[in-house]
Amino acid sequence: MRCGQEITIDDGKIVEIRGLEAHPQNRGRICHKGRAAVDLVNHPDRLLKPLKKKPNGSFAEISYDQALDEIAERMTRIKTQVGARSVGVWKGEALGFFQQEEYARRFIHAFGSPNYFSNDSECFNGRYFGYKVVQGYWNGCPDFEHADLMIFWGSNPPFSHPPQARLIANGKERGAKIIVIDPRLTSIAYKADLFLQPLPGTDGALAWGLMRHLIETQTVDRPFVEKYSVGFEQIAQYAKTFDPEFVEKQTGVPSDIFLDAAQMIVESRPKITHYVGNGLEHHENGINNIRAVACLGGLCGAIDIEGGDPWPESMGGHDLTLYHELPLLDQKPIGAEKFPVLYQLRQECHTMLAMDYMLGKGAYPLRGLIVAGANPLLTNPNSRKVKEAFASLDLLVVRELFLTPTAKLAHYVIPAASFLERSELHYHPHCQLVTLTTKILEIPGVVDEYTFWRDLSGRLGFGEKYFPWDNEEEVNRWILEPTGISLEELKQHPEGIRYKPIRFRKYREKPFATPTGKFEFASQYLKDLGYPEIPEYRPPRYVNHPQKEFPFILTTGARKYLYYHSRYRNIKRFRSHIPAAEMEIHPDDAEGLGVKDMEQVRVTSEVGSIDIPAKIVHEREIRQGVLQITHGWDDVNVNLITPDHVNDPISGFPLLKAIPVRIEKIS
Amino acid sequence: MKILSIDLDRCVGCQNCELTCSFYQIGDFNRERSNIWVSFYPEDRFIVTLTCVQCEKPACMTVCPNGALQRDPKTQAVVVDENRCLGCRMCMQACPFGNIHMNREKRVVQKCNLCEGDPKCVRFCMGQAINFVDVDDLAEGKRKSLDYRLKKLYPVLGSGAEK
Repeated sequence: MRCGQEITIDDGKIVEIRGLEAHPQNRGRICHKGRAAVDLVNHPDRLLKPLKKKPNGSFAEISYDQALDEIAERMTRIKTQVGARSVGVWKGEALGFFQQEEYARRFIHAFGSPNYFSNDSECFNGRYFGYKVVQGYWNGCPDFEHADLMIFWGSNPPFSHPPQARLIANGKERGAKIIVIDPRLTSIAYKADLFLQPLPGTDGALAWGLMRHLIETQTVDRPFVEKYSVGFEQIAQYAKTFDPEFVEKQTGVPSDIFLDAAQMIVESRPKITHYVGNGLEHHENGINNIRAVACLGGLCGAIDIEGGDPWPESMGGHDLTLYHELPLLDQKPIGAEKFPVLYQLRQECHTMLAMDYMLGKGAYPLRGLIVAGANPLLTNPNSRKVKEAFASLDLLVVRELFLTPTAKLAHYVIPAASFLERSELHYHPHCQLVTLTTKILEIPGVVDEYTFWRDLSGRLGFGEKYFPWDNEEEVNRWILEPTGISLEELKQHPEGIRYKPIRFRKYREKPFATPTGKFEFASQYLKDLGYPEIPEYRPPRYVNHPQKEFPFILTTGARKYLYYHSRYRNIKRFRSHIPAAEMEIHPDDAEGLGVKDMEQVRVTSEVGSIDIPAKIVHEREIRQGVLQITHGWDDVNVNLITPDHVNDPISGFPLLKAIPVRIEKIS
Repeated sequence: MKILSIDLDRCVGCQNCELTCSFYQIGDFNRERSNIWVSFYPEDRFIVTLTCVQCEKPACMTVCPNGALQRDPKTQAVVVDENRCLGCRMCMQACPFGNIHMNREKRVVQKCNLCEGDPKCVRFCMGQAINFVDVDDLAEGKRKSLDYRLKKLYPVLGSGAEK
């Protein structure tokens, strides 16, 4: 979440991290994930020297210069033999976000390949698309503080985005109501005035039902709809089917509770925040379900208002990417044809297809990969295939803090700098704030991301042209150039500078960032690509075509408070609190199977099996028939049973939250 | 006197306070060592976070046969003198809230001591539900919070002059 931190250093070692009082993001508060840097930076297993894989499979230390020389040579060989596009980069979240991502994008395009991959082809972009297509923007933090009603769709901010807890509590203290929609009783669901527990993947039916209710009761924001939107007649027509009985049949949410929710929305308009989480995007109809929620926000009149869903403005700094200068579209970015929306709207190549290209089943071979702070072996679906694909590469370079399962497969491992060992710009769009982090530590032999990409590009012959800055400080200065904010000013303001005042209802003076410039209930853009023009609802496959051999529905990826995807399992005190993987199961399901609490069971999907202890939760904590396993555990990796071939047709996101499985007792 | 006040409406159940309390005692995240407790009641969808309220007339202090519980003159917190504590658990029985518990390793009781006047759970409470406040300010804060809600009701309840 990039919270402001106040760090105490004693004798060159970080001894304490506290929240920075003046930082608008967290106002002095910080969760233990934020404080984990104490453990990460000083961790005994931290990688400090570059490693090279020996023929016998073990690693030997190698100098940084030697490693980079060899990597550049191998990259050049691949480029000469099969073409530049056969090398890609893959960015994860262990080494940061925006700026670190842009370095990677810049580097690979300068090299001549369009193949930039990241975790964002299975996370975040689904929500981004759902909103972008309808209203031209996505706000990662709607205005909870001033809302009259906060609706959480498959999201649990206290665990996933802890600093939002304060904003939500502020809203609640002002009297805002809360509706939570989730198959699991999450921590935010405890705070809800209404808790709707639908079948996984059926959220779209709920959103359509709520839209129907607003239309039927003539409580739609007519002036907004008439003046600033397109496609209303189409959705009004389509919504007719979604009466409370139909919604109940689809979602399993009792119609009286659904009607209470609808009534609460009617009474709270327009100050309503819809906050869609990861829970909606990992489904076969994920994007359209999210689009439907975005459309509902429009009907409520919550668009770009205080207490609703404000439209954040960007700072307008220089862009490090090269999409204008070197678009490389003729090089056929991986996934751009099959999942054009991901490429067109986010310039992301698709990790769901990357493995096929590595395994020789793509339009051309992918032979080399530089991975920066990602751990796809644990975080991408169908881990067995991921491992096979990564192991087949001619060149795998991994930049990491630790020897992760992905790093273990690498030919070269380059130690990476943590966020405290670099200085970079951060943006907090919901408060239109830019901050600069301070480099407070330097570990000998460990270089920051900019230095790494610059040093490698120098050896490949495009350093001077594309990485001309001496260091990251000069990059930061260049990015800020057009903004009127100087680096020096930012240094004096660790709490950041608001780059633009927040204004509301900007659509009155400038068009929405959509093809028509309007709020699009119907999208010609998607229609032209062969997708439904309006966010049609499709029931999940397990509902329409249940498979006898897989009677349970597995949802994965619910957040655990201390862990960040596959990260932080190596912090001893975190393990004290959450020691191991477990599978959440409803007590009636456990009883039916004759399974005792924490008894080891085998979970099997069409992709594979894993053995895991069954944690029997309270009957209200999860829907009967639904199981939950959190990802990121190396010893019990749930992605060994998640499919990579069942995808949302628009985003290509994998189905991770409604996987048909069966359970067997092992004993 | 300043006490820890917990606004249950603001608590989101993240348990950061429990982990913080444990951390500042032993450097580990062991909920059993925490002197603040977050309890979940899924049947009613209800979360309660509770810690010692530093009573004006502490039953624990009265009942202790060995004078191991005393009021810290600086913070006014009721604190355990580990050297005097016999581990008899009388205080645990006397406390009406269950806010004293056994430290199994040291075989003495433990409770919130307000971190010598800088209670760590406050700064680490993500929902800003825990506040270290003077009891009089607390009452005023509550009135103000209610005022927000009354303001919303005013058009309904008010004299009508507003309309």
